[in-house]
Amino acid sequence: MEEKIYELLSEEFPEIDFKESDTLVDDGILDSLTITGIIATLTMEFGITIPYEEIIEDNFNSIAGLAKMVEKLSS
Amino acid sequence: MTFISAEFYILLLFVVIAYFAIPLKYRWTALLMGSLVFYIFQGIEMLPMLLAATAVGWLSGLGIGRVYSDEGQGAQEAKKKAKLVSGIGIIILIAVLTLVKCTRYMPESMAAKIIVPLGISYYTFSIISYLIDIYRRKYQPEMNALKFLLFTAFFPKILQGPIARYDKLANQLYEGHRFDYRRTCFGLQLFLWGLIKKLVIADRLAIFTGNVFGDIPRMSGSMLLVAAIFATVELYCDFSGCMDMAFGVSQIFGVELEQNFKRPFFSKSAAEFWRRWHITLGAWFKDYVYMPVVTSPRMAKILQWAKKQFGARVGKSLMAVIPLAIVWILTGVWHGTGKAYVVWGVYWGAMIIASQIWAPEIKKLSQFLHINTEAESFQIFRMVRTFGLFCIGRIITIPNNLHMTLQIFRKIAFEFNPWELVDETIYTYGLDWKDFSLLMCMFVLLWAVSMLQEKGGLRTRIAGYNLGFRWAIYYIAIIALIIFGIYGPGYDASNFVYMGF
Repeated sequence: MEEKIYELLSEEFPEIDFKESDTLVDDGILDSLTITGIIATLTMEFGITIPYEEIIEDNFNSIAGLAKMVEKLSS
Repeated sequence: MTFISAEFYILLLFVVIAYFAIPLKYRWTALLMGSLVFYIFQGIEMLPMLLAATAVGWLSGLGIGRVYSDEGQGAQEAKKKAKLVSGIGIIILIAVLTLVKCTRYMPESMAAKIIVPLGISYYTFSIISYLIDIYRRKYQPEMNALKFLLFTAFFPKILQGPIARYDKLANQLYEGHRFDYRRTCFGLQLFLWGLIKKLVIADRLAIFTGNVFGDIPRMSGSMLLVAAIFATVELYCDFSGCMDMAFGVSQIFGVELEQNFKRPFFSKSAAEFWRRWHITLGAWFKDYVYMPVVTSPRMAKILQWAKKQFGARVGKSLMAVIPLAIVWILTGVWHGTGKAYVVWGVYWGAMIIASQIWAPEIKKLSQFLHINTEAESFQIFRMVRTFGLFCIGRIITIPNNLHMTLQIFRKIAFEFNPWELVDETIYTYGLDWKDFSLLMCMFVLLWAVSMLQEKGGLRTRIAGYNLGFRWAIYYIAIIALIIFGIYGPGYDASNFVYMGF
């Protein structure tokens, strides 16, 4: 899952190195518009709804966090 | 009574003495009394609305808290009830806000009976955020009604914001703070800088812009362009000056308000600009409108449907368009209910949406044209472009009449006479060459201070200078304020632009 999400997001946001940091939100690498783009990409790719409660730093700080969230919402 | 009236300084002195004289535990009561007196001075007839809004917020908060504390029901059931209670509170608050904002659409006799309380947009938004946060279980409701009243009415921020969040402000207000000389000096420095921005720059520019925009049909395009640029700087100095004063006063009491400005004219894009200008309003819309729309199940369905029908690119575009369009129309309406404000909201929304949707094309175009987007010159161009975009936005709202707005654009495009900029015509609209020379010096000072703030630690740096030099800076600033501030009969310096919202 992590690899798939990494490929997806790297293609979508080539200017961001998602493996560069595991504090992507805390470091200001992801702003709210980028987070919206990530939500759109994951929603369409995996057919999930990402609720407001899941928009937390832990989930968006790293590819691992995103993968964990997608797995939880897909099940 | 505003930050630039004698009554305010007398009140502030009393509140400071009272605050530091009483025991730590009760110091918040001095702030509450001071806040109520400050608001009563704005007009006692406005007080009932503030008290009523506070009561609605406080009671609804308690109601939500009670629903969640009832362990006899399931989590889903509790959430549903909490949603109902918070929904009722929010609807009442929005209904009142809408009513007082829409007086222009009412018959004159009816509109005359409606009192528009100062700061209603700010405290209403604060209370709404409080209710939504409690519904989201971010924190517990406030049990003490008077403490909650202090949160809504805290005097440095009630008239023009920043839009306070309960979790960031309340505890700072309730816990007593000891007197701190260094903190007080920092607060007074910031207050002084805010006064200079307001009285020396904004109010001086207001003379010119008032004269030019007061007679648009007779003005040339060149004067209108200068006035539009001045009106942009005027608004910044007026609003951010007021925020500096609010921040400075709060700091004396050990209360740190949220930043509302972060050198917005250094922004390189429209989106960045709105992360640096009126930050608390943008953050409010992000947390309570934008993100809920983005994460709503309906939005997810729209995206999945769009992907199936038209492909992922369209789906992504819809995600960029729908939430931003909603936010920007609401932001426009927040600023004013005339058509001009809706157009203004659509203008900014379209700008930000376009930059999102066409980001790949813009990048390809830059590569095709061999533009080095990392070059310093290109970064400066982006800053100037963003400033220009804001000037256009000002032209849309200043006349509050779209016909006049179009006339301004037409005149700038087709009746531009550059000679007027050098043949002394510019000195015939209320400011002479001395005023212009002073303004140019102030613009340089504003830019220099902004640069130092951007690098961080300006006030710490000043505090590090030796005593004599430090006090020389303060004296020069105070003397400059007294000599160059705009005062006197016939000019009402007390009106802050954003106080009307």
